[in-house]
Amino acid sequence: MTNATDTADPTASGSAPSSTEQSPVTSGALIALLRLGIAMLWIENVGWKAPPNFSSLRSFTQDAVDHPVLAPYAWLVEHVILPNFTFFAWGVLLVESALGVFLLLGLATRFWAVVGITQSLAITLSVLNAPHEWEWSYYLMILAHVAILCTAAGRSFGLDGLLRPRWRESAEVGGKASRLLLRVS
Amino acid sequence: MTRDRFDRAAIVLGGGAVLSLVFALTTSSNNNFVKVQGVALLIFPLFGLVAVLGGLTGRRPVVLASGVLFVLSGVLQLVQFGHSINWIGGNGSTFALLLAFGIGLLVVATAKPTKVRT
Repeated sequence: MTNATDTADPTASGSAPSSTEQSPVTSGALIALLRLGIAMLWIENVGWKAPPNFSSLRSFTQDAVDHPVLAPYAWLVEHVILPNFTFFAWGVLLVESALGVFLLLGLATRFWAVVGITQSLAITLSVLNAPHEWEWSYYLMILAHVAILCTAAGRSFGLDGLLRPRWRESAEVGGKASRLLLRVS
Repeated sequence: MTRDRFDRAAIVLGGGAVLSLVFALTTSSNNNFVKVQGVALLIFPLFGLVAVLGGLTGRRPVVLASGVLFVLSGVLQLVQFGHSINWIGGNGSTFALLLAFGIGLLVVATAKPTKVRT
């Protein structure tokens, strides 16, 4: 959408980039690629969370009880989530859809990166000890969201980069919502 | 008509929606990324072209209309997928992608032009 104009300047330390260093545009493009890839991860995986039964999701959620990773989380799943499964399944569907939507657009990206870390952690605590799982899949999911958070990835070719100047103008005249959007973008 | 950054964003989003047709090529595998088949084969390119047209001509109401149509399609998909009646023919991934284009286009259509400051 737009390249970042307010990301940190890599030459700000005073040293000019050598010919072997990546330009800000290249770095921004690679950061955007990471963001778009993670967005597609969430979007694709909303596809198999099908109402009204959410049977596949129920099976993975049951893993938290059958192959516990953390006892308090297993207790929570067994006594709170599974008895009210339809409600929580709709919540998962909507949260993961929103993760895909907002990371794809690069809108309020840092907020959604935190949500992504949280959701990845919940998935990790559910299936880490299940048979045939590769534990690094889940560690890498968490780390990818940490990278999106730390690089404020929506400012590179995302709507955050497009809208932040507008939000800054509004924040300067006291707009609280704009100030919040500047923080989460 | 003058074109600003938001109009260009509308063109990119609309173009992305048109390019979503590529997902139709993968719907037979397990890893289909986004389920695009049936009516969705029309929705993505048609509404996407409307957004591109709005961006090219600098007409925000056209971009806004495209965004509204995407969001409404997404809501319809959310209500129907997993049920016997599924007019759009997609699933949760289709819903998420429709919503992404819809929200993105609504945002760029309603954003006020800004004094560019870098």
